[in-house]
Amino acid sequence: MAAGASHRLQLRRAIRELRDRGLYTAAKWAAEQLVGLPEDRENVGPAPVPDEEDGGDGDVFLLAKAFFDMREYRRAAHALRGATGKKSFFLRCYATYLAGEKRKEEEIIELGGPLGRSDAVNPELAGLEQELTSHSEKGTLDAFGNYLYGVVLHERDRKSEARAVLCASVNTYPWNWSAWLELQALCTDPEILPTLRLEDHWMRDFFIASVYLDLQKNSEGLACYRSLHAMFPVSDYVLAQTATAHYNLREFDEAEGLFEELLRTDPYRIEGMDMYSNILYVKECFAALSHLAHKAVLTDKYRPETCCIIGNYYSLKAQHEKAVLYFKRALKLNRKYLSAWTLMGHEYVEMKNTPAAIDAYRRAVDINPRDYRAWYGLGQTYELLIMPFYALYYYRRAAQLRPHDARMWCAMGQCYENEQLQMFDAAIRCYRRAVNNNDREGIALNKLAKLHSQLGQADQASYYYKKNLERLEADQSEGQDVVDALLFLATHSKNQGFLDDSEMYCMRLLDYGGPAKEEAKALLREIRSVQQHASVLPSMDLEQFTP
Amino acid sequence: MENKLRAMVRDCLDKHLHASAIFLADKLVTVGGTEEDVHLHAQALFQGRQFRRALHLLRTHGLLHLHPRYRYLAAKCLEEIKEWDECLSVLGDYEVDQHGNYPMKDDIDPESGHQAGINIAAALCLLRGRACEALENRTRALCWYKASLRVDPYCYEAYEHIVDNHMLSSEKEVAFLSSLKFDADDRWLSLLYSCQAKKYGQISALESKLSELEREPQKHSNVGLSLKDNNDVLACRADYLYHRGEFQLCYDITKTLLEKDPYHLKCMPLHLGAALELGRKNELFLRAHNLVQEYSQRPIAWFAVGCYYYCIRQFDHARRYFCKATTLDGAFYPAWLGFGNAYAAQDESDQAMAAYRTAARLFSGCHMPALCIGMEYLRTNNLNLAEQFFMQAKGICPTDPLVYNELGVMAYRNREYEEAARWLRKALVLVQETRNSLTLCWEPTVVNLAHTLRKLKLYPEAISMYEKALALCPRGATTYAALGFTHHLQGSTGIAIDFYHKALGLKPDDTFTAEMLTAALTEECLRPSFAKELTALH
Repeated sequence: MAAGASHRLQLRRAIRELRDRGLYTAAKWAAEQLVGLPEDRENVGPAPVPDEEDGGDGDVFLLAKAFFDMREYRRAAHALRGATGKKSFFLRCYATYLAGEKRKEEEIIELGGPLGRSDAVNPELAGLEQELTSHSEKGTLDAFGNYLYGVVLHERDRKSEARAVLCASVNTYPWNWSAWLELQALCTDPEILPTLRLEDHWMRDFFIASVYLDLQKNSEGLACYRSLHAMFPVSDYVLAQTATAHYNLREFDEAEGLFEELLRTDPYRIEGMDMYSNILYVKECFAALSHLAHKAVLTDKYRPETCCIIGNYYSLKAQHEKAVLYFKRALKLNRKYLSAWTLMGHEYVEMKNTPAAIDAYRRAVDINPRDYRAWYGLGQTYELLIMPFYALYYYRRAAQLRPHDARMWCAMGQCYENEQLQMFDAAIRCYRRAVNNNDREGIALNKLAKLHSQLGQADQASYYYKKNLERLEADQSEGQDVVDALLFLATHSKNQGFLDDSEMYCMRLLDYGGPAKEEAKALLREIRSVQQHASVLPSMDLEQFTP
Repeated sequence: MENKLRAMVRDCLDKHLHASAIFLADKLVTVGGTEEDVHLHAQALFQGRQFRRALHLLRTHGLLHLHPRYRYLAAKCLEEIKEWDECLSVLGDYEVDQHGNYPMKDDIDPESGHQAGINIAAALCLLRGRACEALENRTRALCWYKASLRVDPYCYEAYEHIVDNHMLSSEKEVAFLSSLKFDADDRWLSLLYSCQAKKYGQISALESKLSELEREPQKHSNVGLSLKDNNDVLACRADYLYHRGEFQLCYDITKTLLEKDPYHLKCMPLHLGAALELGRKNELFLRAHNLVQEYSQRPIAWFAVGCYYYCIRQFDHARRYFCKATTLDGAFYPAWLGFGNAYAAQDESDQAMAAYRTAARLFSGCHMPALCIGMEYLRTNNLNLAEQFFMQAKGICPTDPLVYNELGVMAYRNREYEEAARWLRKALVLVQETRNSLTLCWEPTVVNLAHTLRKLKLYPEAISMYEKALALCPRGATTYAALGFTHHLQGSTGIAIDFYHKALGLKPDDTFTAEMLTAALTEECLRPSFAKELTALH
């Protein structure tokens, strides 16, 4: 397998190069993919160690790297102040950046309280931007320099420039997964992806797949991961991403199976397990969720994912205060932890604390504007506050992200029905979309029927009542919806002259109690009288139907 | 014997053994008794700080009218005992015109033709200037300083007085320097002088001048000597960077300079200013402490303390220490401005303006006080007076972009948006002429221009300006709100909503943005196309 062997060599080299520059996350990811390759039958030897250019500051670099590894970033940067090599330059800038980040985090805790907003910014950004810009203009930035430049530009909110720089970085050095992730964070719009000039590489396939998932193009993403699976058959990462895709497609059983497999091969894995806990939550598997939570605590108690799993557990047990506590802890550990913000918002909604819920959701969409759950949550919260304009806008954002999700359309329809808007046409259109997108809860059909009947469009109303009735029969559910449907259909059929149908509906209504039964009886009486009346004049009907 | 004594006295003076020098010189006068011996005795007394005795000696021997040098020594003594009127009369208070020309026949040293060193006439003029300044006659003082430099351009002290006390506006400084006669091989001096002059309006020329000064000596170079790494040249460079708004680079230079020479007081205000701009309160604290310990009698020490308190936003304390600095030396320019700024930071316009007014009176060549007064009037909504002062500032310094920014703001407040746009554009042009790129401190000007363009209904231009401002300062909540508002005015409510959200994310309690968001959401939801999009969405 020539391709596999070359991938192996590339990854081995990349891991060392990334580690040398303190890019540990990217190194970890590369290592994961390295062992994800099929077994090494040809036994390719270790990659040749190329002599890297240090510009003669090898010893200083070693010292600085030691400081860096001890998280003494400023010291590392200072040690490298006179070094000229590209590697040294990158490490110096990166250490300066991280020193600024560290300071920023400290300031947030000191000034803004645990979760409060704070205007803390990385104090090194301006200086770094200046230095990197001048180097970039001179064209002396290598791929790693470009990566850092992209990160800095992104934080300075200069997105298009950041994208260009990051593209340059990944085109010259594709093995830096962190650079790809940074680029992914900048692809907020599906239209951006085709505009990126990316050279063909197997790392690009990983990127594209990941972006698809992020943009909620789950089926496309799934297809990508299938082909990657062929190349990296034992990669846990690919497996976890596949599971995520299934989860996004609401195919919970498949996702659950994959997560279980993942835990079997790598029992101490924490990454992605919050997703697994979400699935268990939705499926209301108390025992499995409790087991997962305990296991995660034993592996690493103070990981944001762990806290999130515990939060989910308490939420399922309806202990919302405790759940919030754990989500807060998760966020203390990682302020940019998206799903914790969203889930915390859900908890606040449950606790009827709308301002806190809105704040949490807002923070979530600030971090990633493609998180449809947060948009949906915002819509729900504003609906609770009876602010339908706000709610509608947020639901629309969610629907734009998940156009094939009936829940969003139903929510929008409800907003349009609100007495402040009363835009029934639009509501009907929304519900229709919901119906077309396989509305599992069946809200849309019922709503459509009712709306049409309110608007006096009896034919359409009866069509939807019938469909709804079919659905309810299939679910074998009985309730007010069935009664309403039957009553309408009975009346409508009678008015249309389909007396047999009407009679049939009325007979079914008799099984139910309450006022509906009485109405059904009244209807039946009417039908009887009409039938008797009709039998007197049967010829008229015949005349009508003969040509 | 006499010669031996003479040599002994000179040697004692060199070694600063004042008492021995006085003792021996006294004997020398008795033994020899030439005029030169009396002068030597008087010199010894002067250095031994026995000024009145030296003066008496010179007077009783009737030396005052014999030679300018004797007259100079007598005047120096009077200067030390601060008898300024007397000092001036000893020096001879001649008529001097505003270019520094005066009848100097009495000042001419008959033997000076073959002597190296500063012309005695220059020293006499300098002293006249000092006396006039002490007598609060600044115009006349300036004339004498000019006269001093005209006689001998090497008389740096006179130049220092002119520059440090901001006696001339930038334009006049340039004109005066070009009128001075430098020797051909003294080009370095003229270069250095012009580098030390005001920076506004000649920033582009400065770079080449500085690099000429720092160039390695070459055969054909006509600079005379290379002053690479000279502290004064470095200080000039730092000052130049400060004016360009590159505070970090300025700070780096001044910091290394002060490591080399911790008592380079000339560069100290610059260092403190840059540290203040960068918010290096720790550096300010230590520096202020050391200065107060070592130089408690100098205004710079208390100015540093004031800067520290200003940096940590304790304006009460800052004010007190700036005030202390001004009482120690009424001619210490930075302290006056700091004093005014500290009041202004507390919204006490009247006191702030009083401080600025004093500064404007004392430092007539500097436009900053007038500009600050204008800003205070602008803040208190006194637009007419504000305009007067802005125009005055513009008259003194027509090349400072800040003046045009303020003029623009004023026009905006007067609802003369066309005019405002013109001023603000001019400000930005000036900024970009002198600096290659806009820096963070010009972000407000960009925002101002954007607001103005919005008022002029030039929405696309306004939007691009707001975006420019955001590139400089990415977390400006109000800029996002304004950008959203502009999009809203244009009718693109969808984009407006996004920006309002962003603004509220940065500053959640902004009522204007919140209200506009509600309005935009309502509009957006009721827009007929909104509902149609639903079916088009995929």
